[in-house]
Amino acid sequence: MTTTTIEKTESQVTPAEATWDGLLFRPNVDILENEEELTVLADMPGTCSEDIDIQLENGTLTLYAKVRGRQSASQRYALNEYGIGDFQRTFRISQTIDTKKISAEYRNGVLTLHLPKTEQAKPRKIGVKAVK
Amino acid sequence: MKLIPWRSKKDGGEIRPSESSTSITRFRDEVDRLFDRLFEDPFGMIREPLATPGGWAPTLDVVESDKEVMVRAEVPGMDPKDIDITVSGNVLTLSGEKRDSVEDKGDNWYHCERRFGTFRRNVQLPSYVDMNKVSAEHANGVLTIHIDKVSSAAPKKVTVKPAAT
Repeated sequence: MTTTTIEKTESQVTPAEATWDGLLFRPNVDILENEEELTVLADMPGTCSEDIDIQLENGTLTLYAKVRGRQSASQRYALNEYGIGDFQRTFRISQTIDTKKISAEYRNGVLTLHLPKTEQAKPRKIGVKAVK
Repeated sequence: MKLIPWRSKKDGGEIRPSESSTSITRFRDEVDRLFDRLFEDPFGMIREPLATPGGWAPTLDVVESDKEVMVRAEVPGMDPKDIDITVSGNVLTLSGEKRDSVEDKGDNWYHCERRFGTFRRNVQLPSYVDMNKVSAEHANGVLTIHIDKVSSAAPKKVTVKPAAT
């Protein structure tokens, strides 16, 4: 239908800014495409909209979210099933995204990112005029 | 009929290899294990499969401090209204359903990693909590439940008075 491609770049390629020594988690994402846009949904509990950083540069989309610590080693854990750390994930996206119209919202721990396609990338229907 | 005294398996409880295969002894072993857990650990977590295959259940942190027991769960993508917190005896139950927010409109999927489904998690709480003082809050996909301890359970300092002479 369209030529839009999206593929996961292996996150072993550590970006320059990741120089802290905290844990880094890879959020689970859903990515869907329709005629209008690509939608990325990422489960990122425990952050807030001010702490989410989204960058699209040279076709590389980076999601980063800072998570404030809520676990401390001095506490007595009866059960400790998950770890706390920042979220980060990188995707490669083709250049058919209208970067000016990208929007994102964060609700109940899920980031929803809308990446609208450029006009050229959208499928178009060509009307045929009847000639008498 | 013979009454068999209960003894922790860890303290050298009897081992009965010859009869361990019959269903009634398996059942007894199961009950023994429940008792072992009950006496060892006040929380005695009811361990169960976290989720059905392909399904989802929240991960939990349970922390005990001087004043309260706190249960924290990561529940991204859930409306707090869809989470049921019930207290029965000393068991706190979290249940609900995480639903996919995306309607199937014939979109093409590139990634499908997020999990959905119904879940139920039981947490056995120690006897010294006040089950009438349970509060819960939800923020950014993280649910926090506070259960106060009964005041008599908090560590108390006893002052020694000099005896009147």
